[in-house]
Amino acid sequence: MISLKGTLNVIDNSGALLVECVNVLKHKVNHGYGGVGDEIVCVVKRARPIPASALASTTAVKVKKGDVRRAVIVRTKKSFPRPDGRIVSFDDNAAVLLNNKKEMLGTRINGPVSAELRTRGWGKIVSLAPKVL
Amino acid sequence: MFRALCRRLSAVRKYSTTTAEYPFSKSVTASQPVLPPTDALRKGKGLMQHLSKTLVDPEKRHMVDVLFSRRHPERLPPGSVLTAYTGQAPFQFSGVLIAIRRRGPSTSFTLRNIVQRMGVEMQFFVNSPDLKRVEVIQRAGGGGGRQGRRMRRAKLFYLRDSPEKMTAISAGVRG
Repeated sequence: MISLKGTLNVIDNSGALLVECVNVLKHKVNHGYGGVGDEIVCVVKRARPIPASALASTTAVKVKKGDVRRAVIVRTKKSFPRPDGRIVSFDDNAAVLLNNKKEMLGTRINGPVSAELRTRGWGKIVSLAPKVL
Repeated sequence: MFRALCRRLSAVRKYSTTTAEYPFSKSVTASQPVLPPTDALRKGKGLMQHLSKTLVDPEKRHMVDVLFSRRHPERLPPGSVLTAYTGQAPFQFSGVLIAIRRRGPSTSFTLRNIVQRMGVEMQFFVNSPDLKRVEVIQRAGGGGGRQGRRMRRAKLFYLRDSPEKMTAISAGVRG
């Protein structure tokens, strides 16, 4: 249940470390809560220093603190039921950064992701994740 | 046809205590006699007792009556390490049993595991057709020492804050 001011760890190699949710992009919902598989607009709160090679290049994605980016939620602390009856929860909230066209900014994911991503249409993230639970 | 079946099954029950016969096939056996609805039951008297006897699948009776019961000598104490096998992905999940929610047919248990440095908790419902079987890897309260001591809590939610206690439990587990 991520909404305004909720913080999430970034688990890809885009450079960001911690993002704060600003808006949940979810149609047909009055409350602003997002779960796994929902796209959010977020502000980068903490980022890794941009490597010199990326600074020099014009095409490389440069993610720095204060950027407003899009992300998809991949893990939540709040337990959510699965269609098969199981109820799953993780120890933290995590997200993967995206661009405006719903493509990933990073190239690798470290850490497990929720299997609900597959049913919500984020197959690329599921295929890159080392563990899908 | 249902009434005729009930009559035949109740007739079998009167004379023998073995499994009831299914008149239409030799390979099928009813391991539990069918309890036909009585007049009192039709009015709603004793409904919950009837449901707690009939709603649980015969294959899951062992889990509800023995493994996750309150006082059975062979019940699983919290702190045991189990593997739950399911029909949907992920097909198996191992973890420490941190909570048992005893509600008769709606009994469920929660397993906690640390996967790639991330804690994951999964709650499985015992009577669910998706849950195939539960395998006990290590029972809690086995012997003496740091690892085998009986847990003094029914719900081990304190394990969420202490990863060192989780490793102490799983130290004796192989694989």
